[in-house]
Amino acid sequence: MSLRQLLLRLPCYLGASGPRRGPLDTISSVVSWRGQSSRSPAHWNQVVSEAEKIVGYPTSFMSLRCLLSDELSNIAMQVRKLVGTQHPLLTTARGLVHDSQNNLQLRGLVVLLISKAAGPSSVNASCQSYDMVSGIYSCQRSLAEITELIHTALLVHRGIVNLDELQSSDGPLKDMQFGNKIAILSGDFLLANACNGLALLQNTKVVELLASALMDLVQGVYHENSTSAKENHITDDIGILTWKKQTFLSHGALLAKSCQAAMELAKHDAEVQDMAFQYGKHMAMSHKINSDLQPFIKEKTSDSLTFNLNSAPVVLHQEFLGRDLWIKQIREAQRKGRLDYAKLRETISAGKGVTSAIDLCRYHGNKALEALESFPPSEARTALENIVFAVTRFS
Amino acid sequence: MASCWWRWRRGCSWRPAARSPGPGSLGRAGLSGLRAAAAAASRAQMSYFNLVKSLTSAFPNMYSISRFHHVTPAVCCCSRTRSGEKYTDPFNLGWRDLKGLYEDIRKELFISTTELKDMCEYYFDGKGKAFRPIIVVLMARACNIHHNNSRNVQASQRAIALIAEMIHTASLVHDDVIDDASSRRGKHTVNKIWGEKKAVLAGDLILSAASIALARIGNTTVVSILTQVIEDLVRGEFLQLGSKENENERFAHYLEKTFKKTASLIANSCKAVSVLGCPDPVVHEIAYQYGKNVGLAFQLIDDVLDFTSCSDRMGKPTSADLKLGLATGPVLFACQQFPEMNAMIMRRFSSPGDVDRARQYVLQSDGVQQTTYLAQRYCREAVREISKLRPSPERDALIQLSEIVLTRDK
Repeated sequence: MSLRQLLLRLPCYLGASGPRRGPLDTISSVVSWRGQSSRSPAHWNQVVSEAEKIVGYPTSFMSLRCLLSDELSNIAMQVRKLVGTQHPLLTTARGLVHDSQNNLQLRGLVVLLISKAAGPSSVNASCQSYDMVSGIYSCQRSLAEITELIHTALLVHRGIVNLDELQSSDGPLKDMQFGNKIAILSGDFLLANACNGLALLQNTKVVELLASALMDLVQGVYHENSTSAKENHITDDIGILTWKKQTFLSHGALLAKSCQAAMELAKHDAEVQDMAFQYGKHMAMSHKINSDLQPFIKEKTSDSLTFNLNSAPVVLHQEFLGRDLWIKQIREAQRKGRLDYAKLRETISAGKGVTSAIDLCRYHGNKALEALESFPPSEARTALENIVFAVTRFS
Repeated sequence: MASCWWRWRRGCSWRPAARSPGPGSLGRAGLSGLRAAAAAASRAQMSYFNLVKSLTSAFPNMYSISRFHHVTPAVCCCSRTRSGEKYTDPFNLGWRDLKGLYEDIRKELFISTTELKDMCEYYFDGKGKAFRPIIVVLMARACNIHHNNSRNVQASQRAIALIAEMIHTASLVHDDVIDDASSRRGKHTVNKIWGEKKAVLAGDLILSAASIALARIGNTTVVSILTQVIEDLVRGEFLQLGSKENENERFAHYLEKTFKKTASLIANSCKAVSVLGCPDPVVHEIAYQYGKNVGLAFQLIDDVLDFTSCSDRMGKPTSADLKLGLATGPVLFACQQFPEMNAMIMRRFSSPGDVDRARQYVLQSDGVQQTTYLAQRYCREAVREISKLRPSPERDALIQLSEIVLTRDK
C-alpha cells in the first residue's frame, strides 16, 4: 500500500529494479497450509494473499495523501541523482518496490488481522461502528498504515552512510552526502506522517505505545548498526538472552505494540491487549529466526552467500561452543584475510546451533499460537495461525 | 458566579488597554495597515518588496534605527507602568519554573546503551539559551493568570517546555547531518563526533522520547497541536531544498520556510500551554500569534546575524546560509538593489567566490536593515497580541523578550 506504491514512482529512475533477497521471499518454499495435505506446499505469498482478502481493501486515505504530496515527487526526482552510487537509499527504495510486487506488508497486515480477530468490544469504542469495513475499524486501518510508515522510516534511516568511512567505489562524496540528505528527509517525512496519523487517532495511550515502539526500534537499529560496523571483531560476544533482547527491540517491539494498540483502539480490556502484544512479539521473533535460518537450511545455497554473524543460529552455535573455540573456527575459515562463508556455514551446520535455532523458532511460534487461543475462532484468527505455521515449518 | 466575576474583571482590565492612546497605537494602526496591504497584495499579486518598501518609507524614523542600538522604550515603559511590577529579566523569571530542565529532559531519555545516551544528551548540557522553554513557561503563567489569576504552572505545561526543547534539539541533530555542519553552540556537532549514521538515530530517539512525554500529558488536542510542529519542520526542510525563480514568490517562499522551520514550534507550543491553562479559544489564538510573530522575528534576526556577527560569538560559523546555498532575508532584500545577485541566488552561490561576493553585496545594501525592520514589525505584532492578556509580570516579560529577540547579538 502506501509506501510501496508511493515509491513505485522510483523504479523508472532507478534503472534495473532487479530482484533483491528480502527476508520474506526466502520463506516461500517451506510453507504449507494447515488442513491441506502437508505434501502440497503452498507459498508464503498464498498465505498472505488469502489473509489480505480477509481484511478487505488494503489501501487507505493516508497512503493516497502521501502519494499525492509534493514532497514525495520531490524525493523521487532527487533519488534519480543517486543512480550509479552505492548509497543504501537506492537499495531500500528498490526493496520497497520489489516487495510491492509481492504484495507484502506483513506488519500492517498482522495489525489488520488481529483487529478483525478480536472484533468489536462490548464497551463503546472510540471508533464508531459505522466506520467498520470488513470487521475492522477505520482507526485500526490507520494504525496499520502508521505501523508501516514507522517501519519504513527506520528502514530508510538505517541506510545513512558515514561520510568519513567512504570508499572510492561508493561514488563521489558529494553524491553520498546528497544521498544522506534525501534519506534523512524522506525518513523524517514518513515519521511526520506517522505522527500526524497518530494524532488523528485521538487516543493518547495509542500515541504513547507507538512512540515507545519507535524508541525501541531506534535502539534496536542502533545495536544492529554498531554490531555490523565492527568488521574486525567479526562477531559479538553476546549470549542468546542478549540476542533475544536486542531482536525484540529491532524486530518485535513495533509489531507487538501495534497489535496492542489495535486492541486499545477497539477498547478491548488489558487482558486482550496483552494477548495481542504476545502474538505480535512472538510472531515477529519466530519470523526473524526463520529468516536467520535460511542460509543454513536452503538446499541450494550458492557458496558465495554470506550470512550475518550475529544471526540466531550463529549466536547459538557460539554459545554451545564457547567463545574461544568459536574464534578459532572463524580463524580457520579465513583465507587471505577474507572469510570463507561456505566453509563457516558447513562448520556451523555440523554443530547444534541450527537445530536449536529451529527449536527457538518453534518455541516462539507456539507462544504466538497460545496467545491466539484467547481470541474466538474466525477466518482472521486462522490466517494469523497460518502465518505462524508458515514461519515455523521447516522441510 | 466566580467565572462571571473573572470575566468582568478581565473585561475591565482589557478595555483601558484597548482604548489607551499609548505609544503603541501608531504601531497598531500601521500594522492593521500592513495586514490590509498584505491582503491586498496577495489578491493583486503585489510585490512583497514593494509592500515592505512602502512601509519603510511610511516610517522613516524606525527605518533609521540601527539594530544594535535599537530600543523601543515606548513598549518597555508602558508595560512597566501597566503591571506596576519592578523590572525582572525575563530569563530569570522564566528559569524559576525551569530549574532542573536539562536533568528532567535527560530523565525522559530512558536509554540503556551508554553511547546512544551520551549522544542524545549531548545538547542537553545546560549551555543552550533555552529560549523556547523560557517563552513556553512564561506564556503558561501569563495565560493562567489571565484565566483565573492562578499563580501556578501546571506540570503538564512545564512538560510542554521540555518537549519543545526536545523537538528543537532533535531537529537540530538532523539539520546538522543534512547541512554537514561541524560546529554548534561552540562545540562539535553530533555527526562530527559519532558519524552520520548514529546521529540520525539519535535525532529519531529524541523525537520518540518527546512523543512519549507528549502522549503522557493525556490531552489529544495538545498532541495534535505539537504534531503539527513535526510536520512543519519536515515541510520547512523540503521548502529549503527548492528555490523559486520569481522574486515575489521567492520572498513568500522564504517566509513560509521560516515559519515552518522556526516559528511553528514556538507558536504551537505557546498555543499548547494556553490550551492547558485556559479554555478560551481567544487566548489560544493570542498565544499562537505571539509565538508565531516572535518566532519569525527570531529567525529573521538569526539570518541577519549570519552576516553581522562573528563566528566566535555565534558558536557556529557565519555566512553559513550562503555556504549552504540559501538566500535568506538580507540577501533577498539586497538583490533588490543589486539585481546581479539573481544569478547567484539561482545557482545557490555554488560558483567560486559567490559566497564572498554575495556577502559584500549584502553588507553594501540595506538588506540587513530591511530584514531587521521586518523583524521589528513582527515583534510589534507579537507585543500587540500579548498585550491583550491581563497584566502580569510574565506577560511583561514576554513583551521584553520580544525586545531581546531584536537586540540579541548571538
